[in-house]
Amino acid sequence: MGKSKKQKPYGNVKPKNYRAIYEEKFYDILLQLRYPLMTVIFFTTLGVLMLMILNNKSDGKSVLNYFFHTIITFSTVGYTEGYDVDPEHIDINRLFTSIFIIITIPLVYMYGLVKTVDVFLNSNIGEIYNYWRMYKAMEQLTGHYIICRFNGITKELMKNLKKRNIKFILIEPDPGLEQEIRDFGVEFYVIDEPYKRSVLLGVGIEKAKGLISAFEDNTQDISVIVTARLIMPDKNSFYVFATATTEGAAEKMKLLGANEVIVPDVAIGRRMTSFILHPPSPVLSGFLEKIAYGERTDIDIIEIKVDEHSDLVGKKLKDIKMRQETGATIVAIVRADGKMKIAPSGETEIKEGDSLIILGHPKALKRAEVFFEKHHIEEKEGEKVS
Amino acid sequence: MINWGKVWSDFFIFLALTSNVGFIFSHDPYQLVIAVGVNLLATVLKFGAKKILSAELLATALVADLHLIPAAGLYFSGVHVPLAIGLAIGAAVANIISIIMLIVEVIFEYQKEE
Repeated sequence: MGKSKKQKPYGNVKPKNYRAIYEEKFYDILLQLRYPLMTVIFFTTLGVLMLMILNNKSDGKSVLNYFFHTIITFSTVGYTEGYDVDPEHIDINRLFTSIFIIITIPLVYMYGLVKTVDVFLNSNIGEIYNYWRMYKAMEQLTGHYIICRFNGITKELMKNLKKRNIKFILIEPDPGLEQEIRDFGVEFYVIDEPYKRSVLLGVGIEKAKGLISAFEDNTQDISVIVTARLIMPDKNSFYVFATATTEGAAEKMKLLGANEVIVPDVAIGRRMTSFILHPPSPVLSGFLEKIAYGERTDIDIIEIKVDEHSDLVGKKLKDIKMRQETGATIVAIVRADGKMKIAPSGETEIKEGDSLIILGHPKALKRAEVFFEKHHIEEKEGEKVS
Repeated sequence: MINWGKVWSDFFIFLALTSNVGFIFSHDPYQLVIAVGVNLLATVLKFGAKKILSAELLATALVADLHLIPAAGLYFSGVHVPLAIGLAIGAAVANIISIIMLIVEVIFEYQKEE
């Protein structure tokens, strides 16, 4: 018990359990069945018992017949007596049966059985099951992204993430957009307010890689960013990207914890400028952007930092033989002071604090990452010894 | 203030045990029919209750039903009457456990109110 008392940095908030909400709805259906089923059981028992008492017979054959008779009565199947009536007792039997039918047909047949069927027909079990299945699968997600607000910007984003097979959960506060979200084919979504801690915890923010907040309104963006950062304070392990309407708001969002903030008007204006400065050519136009935006899946670009732990520091590019081993190419080196060396020659020396910009097929880039990690770890182990 | 909803459901749970025990001692067919009916009612009443131990309560009720219904079949067909009595005793045990859990639940709820 004492273990669970550990105070979380974002306060004592429980994650919202979306699966449990729909599990509760199943139980509610069961609850509705209580009284109709009770009516059926009670009157069946009463019918059998009364026939046993009236006929003073309790052997197996008679009891079965009485049970049969009770059932055919309240289901209005209606044979004559389903049992051998002693001529002496026939009047009282018929009297009882008449009263029994009067009471049980409305109660047991109309209410009990019809209501039971009605509960099954009207309780949209199928829909509840679909939600439950979605949220059950959602609980298994790790390394996913959380996207807030369903609009033009996030639509484009989700389209590209799907192409790259990156999982994401959409949070949309407006329930009116649910049908549109479903039609768009969003795999996981939650209709809820993203600036609540319980909601962000409920969509697994602690297992997620990042969050994108793209509201039209800066205040909502800010509240989402602050809430997310409260739960995930480390900027390097959890990314927060947002949109802002003005550059001033963008700066504030960055101070509050966003990794990157895009001002749509400014971004569009800059892209327009680039068209004017580099007249459009079918191949070159926006070549790097296409890579960065994930429009091409056969080529990608990454940045790798070389720090003091790497044994590559001080070596020439032609000596490390990275291209031969991995197939990826170093297209530029950004020095620690921010100066950029485009298309470095084999004679270029790697210095501490360099950022290497590497271009190549995604598979080659994976190999390149492993290549640099290898050189990194060896040095670290050496450090431990000394 | 008496909670009448609780009286209603507890009534059937107790009645399930008493009618069941009644049959074990009397070996009477009337008593058996009552026991089966009341046990089924007690089961249905436990549907959908969202309390601590509700799953266990429903499980014991289902166990009692699955003892008593075969017992009724055996008893009325007249083949294995001693076995029918044995099954009824099994159902009685399940009903006793269900009542113990009912008491445990009451204690838990009482503590929660404190």
